[in-house]
Amino acid sequence: MLLIENVYAGYRDFDILKGVNLKVNPGEIVCVIGPNGAGKSTVFKAIYGLVKIRQGRVIFGEQNITNLRPQQILQAGVAIVPQMRSVFPQMSVRENLELGMYLEKNQQRIQKRIDYVLELFPKLAQRQYQQAGTMSGGEQRMLEIGRSLMLEPKLVMMDEPSAGLSPSMTKMIFENIVRLNQEIGLTVLAIEQNARQGLESSHRGYVLELGKNTFEGVASELLQDQEVRRSFLGG
Amino acid sequence: MTQLLQTLINGLLLGGFYAVMVLGFSVFWGVMGVINLAHGEFLMTGAYLAWLLFTSFSIDPFASLLLIMPIMFIVGFIMQKFLLNRLLERPSLATLLATFGISVILANIHKIIYSADPRNVPVSYSGSFELLGLSLPLVKSLIFVVALAIMLGLYLFLQYTRLGKAIRAAAQNKNAAKIVGIDIEQVYAITAGICIALTAAAGAIISPTQAIFPFMGQPFTLKAFTITVLGGLGQIPGALLGGMLLGMAEVMVATYVPGIGTNLGVVISLLVLILVLIFRPQGILTGLKRMPID
Repeated sequence: MLLIENVYAGYRDFDILKGVNLKVNPGEIVCVIGPNGAGKSTVFKAIYGLVKIRQGRVIFGEQNITNLRPQQILQAGVAIVPQMRSVFPQMSVRENLELGMYLEKNQQRIQKRIDYVLELFPKLAQRQYQQAGTMSGGEQRMLEIGRSLMLEPKLVMMDEPSAGLSPSMTKMIFENIVRLNQEIGLTVLAIEQNARQGLESSHRGYVLELGKNTFEGVASELLQDQEVRRSFLGG
Repeated sequence: MTQLLQTLINGLLLGGFYAVMVLGFSVFWGVMGVINLAHGEFLMTGAYLAWLLFTSFSIDPFASLLLIMPIMFIVGFIMQKFLLNRLLERPSLATLLATFGISVILANIHKIIYSADPRNVPVSYSGSFELLGLSLPLVKSLIFVVALAIMLGLYLFLQYTRLGKAIRAAAQNKNAAKIVGIDIEQVYAITAGICIALTAAAGAIISPTQAIFPFMGQPFTLKAFTITVLGGLGQIPGALLGGMLLGMAEVMVATYVPGIGTNLGVVISLLVLILVLIFRPQGILTGLKRMPID
């Protein structure tokens, strides 16, 4: 579904990614882990057209999406959940979801989709008229994920879904990701600092170091791998 | 007692005007993060346009809104799209300087074209009418009603239209707005157009009640600043409350403090500003978003 081939990208004259290869198959949860400064977030930005790709290409489905603008990538069917808090704090949960479908103009379709997404997240449904900024960090992240589903994306990319959340909230978020994957076949590419939690919830994983991927494989095997364990999972 | 009631009414009428006068300034700041120092000069431009339409074509200043607002929308749109949008990534000093420059240019262009002589828009229906034993000045009451109508219109637009929601979204979280596919620069240009149109409308509706001259703008910028601090950024109820407070304060001082009159409005405004900054720096209500600290 998503294919990243030998991508070089970075800022100005400095490449942060030096030949990254990734693949995400339909229906999979794929997790990219790695130490700070390995370029995890840059992978995310490069796919989403926020950082210029100098070499290599990004293929999504049949389409070459290398260096397209974020809006075009969104229209192609890739939604993102960024690391930074991205709800609209002084709008209700419903309004936040509605804006997730800003590119759609048909009100009826929007309202239908909101109800569908609220069905997927009963917790959000309870709070649909509450201001997003007054919810807990975990609930806001759920809303961000819910909002990313509004345009019926084929793939959702998440940058550090655990960022700024307590361990129990992190667990709840990953449980929801797995649940969505099972219930509606959502395909997810997550970039995650919390390597263990990320891999435990994923089908496959990639290890990124110094701008290159050094390990890849089935997530459960990566979790058992001696070297990966020593380097990233604390022994 | 009647004097107090009369004073309160006058304060209310003035406050209603202040509330609509501040909207353009407050939304500009709240959405784009730009403090528009040319606010008063855009108001002055609106007043001159009303005067021009009144004297040349005898169009009523209230009716002239239908012409002035679209014209000034385009002016604001162009200013944002070709000037301010390019400065947004720079430190905020850049937009301060740019809008200050625009204020100087606008004031002096008007001076060159119309000279510094004060102009008036003597509408035929000045005077007042009696209501429950109180005398209500006709023009000021009309200003008040139009002000409320404009405010209600803006509120409904921001609250319920797709574009209005995009504007609020851009104000609350710029990055998130980009993520959902909102074209930020376009939304900014439209917002600026709306703000300038509103500001010019405020200038047009007060044109019957005050002398119009090229340098009339500055006190309005100062008062807009005070009201925004009072009421919170980009918030319509806040603008209404802040406007009312300032209007009341000015009228009360003019009536009850001997020897001051209405000429010291700006002093009162600054006094209110200082008091708010000391006792309630977060504003009276919270706005479209929090006041940025930096």
